Amino acid sequence: MKTLKIMLALAMFGFASLSAQAVEIRDYHKDVIGKDCKACHDQGMKQYPSDESCLSCHNVDDLAEQTARSEEDKWQNPHNNLHYGKELPCQECHSEHKAKKPMCSNCHTFEYDKHKE
Amino acid sequence: MTKVDLLGRRKFITGLGVAAGAAMVAPAMAVSEKAAGVTWDEEFEIVIIGSGFAGLAAAIEAKKLGAKDVHIFEKMSYFGGNSAINGGLFAAPQTPMQKKEGVKDSVDRMVGDQMKAGRGIADEALLRHVAEHAVEALQMTLDAGSEYHPYLQQLGGHSVARTYQTTVSCGAGITQPLLKKCRDLGVETHNRAKFEGFLVGEKGEVLGVKMRQNYHFEEDQPGKVINVRAKRGVIMATGGFAQNVNLRMAQDPTLTAEVGCTNAPGATGEGMYEMFRLGAVPVHLAHIQSGPWASPDEGGFGYVSNYSIYNFPHSMAVNRLTGKRFMNEIADRKTRADAELSCRDEKGNAYPPLLITSYKDSKKHPNTKKVIKYNVGWKFESVDELATHFSVPVKALKAQIEEYNQYVKSGDDKQFGKNMTKAAGKYIEAPFTVVRLWPKVHYCQGGVQITTKAEVKDSFTGQAITGLFAAGEVCGGIHGVSRLGSCSIPECMVMGMTAARSMMNA
Ligand SMILES: Cc1cc2nc3c(=O)[nH]c(=O)nc-3n(C[C@H](O)[C@H](O)[C@H](O)COP(=O)(O)OP(=O)(O)OC[C@H]3O[C@@H](n4cnc5c(N)ncnc54)[C@H](O)[C@@H]3O)c2cc1C
Repeated sequence: MKTLKIMLALAMFGFASLSAQAVEIRDYHKDVIGKDCKACHDQGMKQYPSDESCLSCHNVDDLAEQTARSEEDKWQNPHNNLHYGKELPCQECHSEHKAKKPMCSNCHTFEYDKHKE
Repeated sequence: MTKVDLLGRRKFITGLGVAAGAAMVAPAMAVSEKAAGVTWDEEFEIVIIGSGFAGLAAAIEAKKLGAKDVHIFEKMSYFGGNSAINGGLFAAPQTPMQKKEGVKDSVDRMVGDQMKAGRGIADEALLRHVAEHAVEALQMTLDAGSEYHPYLQQLGGHSVARTYQTTVSCGAGITQPLLKKCRDLGVETHNRAKFEGFLVGEKGEVLGVKMRQNYHFEEDQPGKVINVRAKRGVIMATGGFAQNVNLRMAQDPTLTAEVGCTNAPGATGEGMYEMFRLGAVPVHLAHIQSGPWASPDEGGFGYVSNYSIYNFPHSMAVNRLTGKRFMNEIADRKTRADAELSCRDEKGNAYPPLLITSYKDSKKHPNTKKVIKYNVGWKFESVDELATHFSVPVKALKAQIEEYNQYVKSGDDKQFGKNMTKAAGKYIEAPFTVVRLWPKVHYCQGGVQITTKAEVKDSFTGQAITGLFAAGEVCGGIHGVSRLGSCSIPECMVMGMTAARSMMNA
């Protein structure tokens, strides 16, 4: 019983130190979220945030406007694209704690300069 | 395939940096169980697994026929599967546009073309059923708001022009309106919901399914499995397995991870294999089709595929080594894919052939601009410039162009017997646009056997498995050896509609 408690404590310590040090947070999120992991992890810490989580602060229409492209390339807008409209969950292309490629790059050679891979 | 070929192919594909890693992850273990004693977490009238053409058409038809409670489950975070990235090419016989353009076509003729490509092992009854109802499916898309180019196309292996294409040249021009229509009609759509197995009754009938909620594809997330009762039955519309390298190599060992693939990541096949465990009949699994219009210069289907599908009838495909044509540019897919794979350098390494088109003709397709802009195709002002860029023997190339232009004039291709109707008056002249060609794994002809009522047959009894229906690419045997381009959309949609009709009339 005792060993179990120690192991548990160790595991929790490991988890806490991991979240404090190793986990990367985007600079622009630090001010707003700080160390409140639950601000995004609305389904508990062991689960990814829900698809709606990002949308509690971000507005899809605004994002679509910000990344709009010219008429000819209008469907290359990642936030309002040809294949999925405005419905692509943020986590398909964005990750808070690691780099990710935009989903379009599976099939297309488009460039998204501001996207952090 | 010889050892040399495989090596050459591997080297070549590695050079492309194709993201094959994703395709290697095996799907989590799925198992079916007896339903006796389970607690049902949910109870729905109709349960549809998969949100492509087949699933969406089934849902709309079920609603039209009065179903109250229709649910679509999709394991990915987004809806639409292969259908949402598809080329938007839709074949049907005796359409309004054929009447307008004076094209004489019939159900018999379309079935005949498909039987020929099927090389003797296609399912005539199913092909006929689909052809007979294809116009209804086209109408369903029009009613939902799909828009089509104002012209017909004649694709490889089709004896007449019978193919519509969405104005966005993509299946999303159909899936987006159908998805919206579903929701307007009150269909419930669930993403990140993965089918994990059937729950079966005493007589082997399907009573429901096990669904994993909050599923994150290829990520280690626990989620939660719930038991869902399906009162009228389950429609499996889970698509093909082209992205599952293990499964496709089990059927065709040459289709290694290094071979590119046009499919959406979710095309991993576990739904199909779970039906086999239940007793469904496996048909034609080894017939996996590669698309001869794909480019090694971009991932997936990209921009080139539709560009070349449109341009093949009035283009010339040449081997870079010889400067000569090597195939009928509008033969069926298998014929062309095999011919392209034979284009190799002296060492046996892949040497992708070129598709040469007059810019004046290619530019009518909306993708041409993009192909050039994104560096997956090139424009040249003269034969010399083109030949130098790709190191093609210029004399031979010039002679081939001259010879081909004779066939354009006479309407008789003495080299490969290509039907020159759509090439009439379209001489190969500068300036040119050029893309490189190399096949990619594209479509799984094989799958579970179904009846013309979209029922799934049991391998031992030969009877339909009660409560289980399947539609779309997850079904097998319909097209035989080679599916003709633009014939999947009508099949998926018609069989989806058929499944809904069977359930509602039962
Ligand atoms: C790039 C491309 C272009 C094409 N172009 C054309 C064309 O122009 N014309 C034509 O006729 N055909 C074309 N095809 C073929 C055609 O698009 C496909 O055969 C068709 O889309 C298959 O539709 P479906 O409804 O059967 O499956 P899909 O559209 O693939 O849908 C199946 C869905 O089921 C989901 N799923 C799988 N397993 C599970 C599970 N366990 N639990 C929950 N959900 C699951 C998948 O994620 C997917 O979303 C093309 C195919 C590709 C890949």
